[in-house]
Amino acid sequence: MKKILGIDFSPKAEIALLKILGKDAYIQYEKFQETIRIGDNDMVLLWMDEDQALVEQKIGKLRCACNFQNIPIIVMHDQPRDIPSQPYVIAGATEVLSLSDPAPACRNIINGYLIPGREPLPEEKAYLDPFIRNTCHILKTMAGMDAVFKKVYFSNAIRIFGDVSGIMGLSGNSEGTLAVTFYWDLAKTIIARMMNTEEDQIDAELIHDGVSEIINMISGTTKKDFVGKPHHFEITLPSVVVGPGHQIGYFQNTAAAVLIFEVDGQAFALHVCIKPKSAAA
Amino acid sequence: MKIIVADDSRLVRGIVEKIVVSMGFEAVPAANGQEALDLLEAGGIDMVLLDWNMPIMNGMDVIKTMRSDESFRQIPVLMVSTESEDERIRQALEAGAQGYLPKPFTPEQLTGAIRRVLSMT
Repeated sequence: MKKILGIDFSPKAEIALLKILGKDAYIQYEKFQETIRIGDNDMVLLWMDEDQALVEQKIGKLRCACNFQNIPIIVMHDQPRDIPSQPYVIAGATEVLSLSDPAPACRNIINGYLIPGREPLPEEKAYLDPFIRNTCHILKTMAGMDAVFKKVYFSNAIRIFGDVSGIMGLSGNSEGTLAVTFYWDLAKTIIARMMNTEEDQIDAELIHDGVSEIINMISGTTKKDFVGKPHHFEITLPSVVVGPGHQIGYFQNTAAAVLIFEVDGQAFALHVCIKPKSAAA
Repeated sequence: MKIIVADDSRLVRGIVEKIVVSMGFEAVPAANGQEALDLLEAGGIDMVLLDWNMPIMNGMDVIKTMRSDESFRQIPVLMVSTESEDERIRQALEAGAQGYLPKPFTPEQLTGAIRRVLSMT
C-alpha cells in the first residue's frame, strides 16, 4: 500500500481526503516542523495555509527533506476559486489540487503521481555504473569521504532542487549534460575537506569553484572508462548554477538518470543525461 | 625551489599549493596558461604543474610554447589533469611533459609525482 504524508490537514480536510482516496493509501498526518522527515513515504500532501509565502517556505523545506528523491509534493486547498499554481511549483511543489474539484479527477491525479518509476535497464546500468564508481572514488580520494550510492530514478524534469550545481556539457561521440547538485551545507563540508581546512574558511567563490571541479573530475575520469564505447564523450569547461529550483536543459526527448548519493548523512545528486550520437540522430 | 601551479580552479590551486609548500617549495599560482607563461617570462621558475583544460590558454599550448623556447626548454612540467585517457597522456608526454598525474589524486600521489619529475632533471 502506498504511504502518504499529510501535513497541516484539519480534521475536516482529512475527512474530505479520505473520501477521495478511500482505503487505497495509508495517510499519516503531521503538523509541519522545520525538521520534518519524509521517511519512506511515497507522496507528501501539504494543506495550503492562507499565507502564500509561508506555504512556499514549507514547500522548500519539504523538497529539501526529500533528499533529491522524486517524491511528489501536492499542495491541497478547498477554495472554489482557481489558485495559480506557478509560485508553489517554483518553490518545489509538483501540483496544486483543490478539494472542490470532482473527487474522481483528484483521485486520478494523485494516483498518477503514485505510479512508481522504472528501474534502470541492464544497458542503462552499464553506462551508469562508471559514474557511480568514479563519483565515490573522487570524494574518497580528494576529501577522504565515503559516499554511498543510494538509488536512481529517471526524470524528464529540467528543474533541480538543490542550492548549487556543477554542469558539464558533453560532445563528441555522445551528447548530453552531466550535473552534480548539492545543498549548500554539504558542498561547504566537502570543499573544506578537500582543502583540509575549516568550513569557516570556505567562501561562496570556493564552493562554486569546487563544485565545478567535482563535475570536471567526474566527467574526466568517467570519459576514460568509455574509450572505444558508444557512450564515449568529450568534455568542455564546466559551469556552475546557483539557487534553489534552478533549471538545466537536457537533451531533447531524453530522460536524465538522477543518481542519489549520501555522504556524512546528507544527500547529493548526479544527473546523467547522455545519448550516443548514432541514437541521437 | 619555485613551482608554478597553473589551474583555472581556485580550489585545485589551493590544494596543490598547500602540498607544494609542505614539500618545502615555493608555490606560484596561475589561473590559466597565459598567466603561467607570464610567470615563466619573469624568471626564477624551477618547475611547472599544469592543468590541461584552462581558459585563455590551455596546458598543452603552454607545453608546446615552453618546448619551442630556448629559455624554458629545460624547465620540467608535470601535467595534473582530469583528462586521464592513455591517448591524452601520450600526447602530453610527447609534447614535452615529464610527468602526468590524473585527477583525482591524494597528497601522497602528487608528492610522489613531483619528486619523480624533479629526479628526472
